[in-house]
Amino acid sequence: MIARDRNWLVIFAVCVTLAIVYPFFADGYQLTVIRDALIFGLFAASLDFFWGRTGILCFGHAAFFGIGGYIMALTTLNDAIPLGSVLGILGAIAGAAFVAAIIGYFLFFGGIRGSYFTIVTLAMGVICQQAAVSWSSVTGGDSGLIGIPPIAFDLGGLHVDLSQDLPSYIFVAAIVAVVVLALWSISRGRWGMVLTAIQDNEVRVAALGHNAPLRLLATFVLSAAIAGLAGALYVCMAGLVAPDLSGLLLSTEVIVWVAVGGRGTLLGPVLGAIAIQRAQQTISSFNPSLWPLLLGCVFVIIVFVLPDGILSIYARLKSLFNGRRPAQ
Amino acid sequence: MRPKACSPACANASQVLPDTMDFVVTTLLNALTLISILMLVGLGLAISFGLMNVTNLAHGEFVTVGAFAVYFVQSVGGSFWLGLLAAPIAGAVVGCILEFAIIRHLYSRPVSTVLATWGVSLILQQGLELTFGLGAKPVTPPIEGTLDLFFTVYPAYRLILIAIAMLTLLGVVLLISRTSFGLDIRTVIQNREMAEGVGINTRRTYAIAFTFGAAIAGLAGGLVAPLAIVLPQMGVNYLANAFFVVIVGGVGSIGGLVAGSVFVGGLTSVLNYQISPSLAQAIVLLAAIVAVRLRPNGLFNGASR
Repeated sequence: MIARDRNWLVIFAVCVTLAIVYPFFADGYQLTVIRDALIFGLFAASLDFFWGRTGILCFGHAAFFGIGGYIMALTTLNDAIPLGSVLGILGAIAGAAFVAAIIGYFLFFGGIRGSYFTIVTLAMGVICQQAAVSWSSVTGGDSGLIGIPPIAFDLGGLHVDLSQDLPSYIFVAAIVAVVVLALWSISRGRWGMVLTAIQDNEVRVAALGHNAPLRLLATFVLSAAIAGLAGALYVCMAGLVAPDLSGLLLSTEVIVWVAVGGRGTLLGPVLGAIAIQRAQQTISSFNPSLWPLLLGCVFVIIVFVLPDGILSIYARLKSLFNGRRPAQ
Repeated sequence: MRPKACSPACANASQVLPDTMDFVVTTLLNALTLISILMLVGLGLAISFGLMNVTNLAHGEFVTVGAFAVYFVQSVGGSFWLGLLAAPIAGAVVGCILEFAIIRHLYSRPVSTVLATWGVSLILQQGLELTFGLGAKPVTPPIEGTLDLFFTVYPAYRLILIAIAMLTLLGVVLLISRTSFGLDIRTVIQNREMAEGVGINTRRTYAIAFTFGAAIAGLAGGLVAPLAIVLPQMGVNYLANAFFVVIVGGVGSIGGLVAGSVFVGGLTSVLNYQISPSLAQAIVLLAAIVAVRLRPNGLFNGASR
């Protein structure tokens, strides 16, 4: 257990070091590419925090990403609101958390688990996308909203302006690092252990005096809030918001990032998101309709060949080489 | 028939009555169309999701494949009825391959089933798009025109659709309650180990039941093709709604299936008159969630999950 924690921290430190060193070798465009990938990595980590810890798959996580994005866009595009960036981010987090709390309350306290939960969240994603398309007076319909300003605010003498590439990269990287570290410390502590126990046997956990539905609900809300934060960051960096951001395809992609990176590792999904987005850009430049096809194949391959993600290749090789030694 | 000359107030009243009746009957028939389709799509899902505990996210693609089968047969010069014959066959073929290649290896891994079937769903969608090209596919109904139902005039094809759906459902009920294969299915569902013990090949029964559900969904796709926008991505809406049918209605009985379909289909078509379709969808989703919260085992029966 402790060795595993140490390994995780070492990998985390390596990643942070790489993130710090990267700007010295990369130009502005490469920085923005990694920055956007990191935002999706944050999104993937938010799903992993829920899916990895509870074993319950949320199939509409992009709904929270989209809700956060739209709230951020509407807040910053409205000149009447002071401190638009700050309030937008807070609103995005609160909005996503609020929707998750309502849906989660009915599902978790109604005894909905497993596949049933997956299905309802799938439908939630479909409806969110439809709502974003059809509520065009607010959301701009199919084409979405454009011209969203970059994050900029003055707060208590602190002046933040993220219109340049490097500051925005540093801002995003710092948020991702802090959030991932925080999620990891939550999930390895008492909270995470109770969640693991719920996953194993919910009745027994309840008998020990834990309010299992409330734990699941709180985890789901926190996960959705971080997805909302990721959505808010993304629309500011991209400058636009569109219904795709809450769509089924993004919900699907984030599951692949988590599954490829390794469910339950928090860091793996971030790396998975970065790696797969690079692959996606390369493949989509070939032929845009090839990507969903490959995505489908990746799903099937993951299930049958790599159920524990890419990082498990390393563990498998290790156990292959150490095969004759006694287990430590 | 209607009294023409009258005082303004009287004329108004006599105008309102037929209009209301017209509205009520049209809404009822629209609801019945949707309910029929949902029952057919939900049937396969009730078998795989409700009874075999397999979450098949590619179920919507059986509907798509059925609709494309009709389109394909029509585009090479065949009649609609020939296409409607091809639709369940196409659904069955895809379902059978899916069961053999993927689902039967994952019975003990529910989350893996979700991921793998979703992958298959994406592959099928893109495969159809690459084969048939972008854009909606036109499917012409076998019968144009309307039928005068005294209170209202209604498209004749929709009435045929409702009739075919009801007959199919009746056939399924008879199949399950009267034939020896139906007995096998009921035995396997009740107690798998015991069924194996008395010599029923449960894997084979599952495979046939799954293929059968896929065929019915394909038929539903074929039936709905002239009314719907035939696109490779059309399946997902039916998938979500059919899952609601099964979740709300509860698993394990035809009665639950009917109750769930009436709930989801009825609510959707009534709301569609008042508000935009996506808002109606959202309300149906919320209503379904609340219904599940209040009646966790389904509206209709007390069967446990």
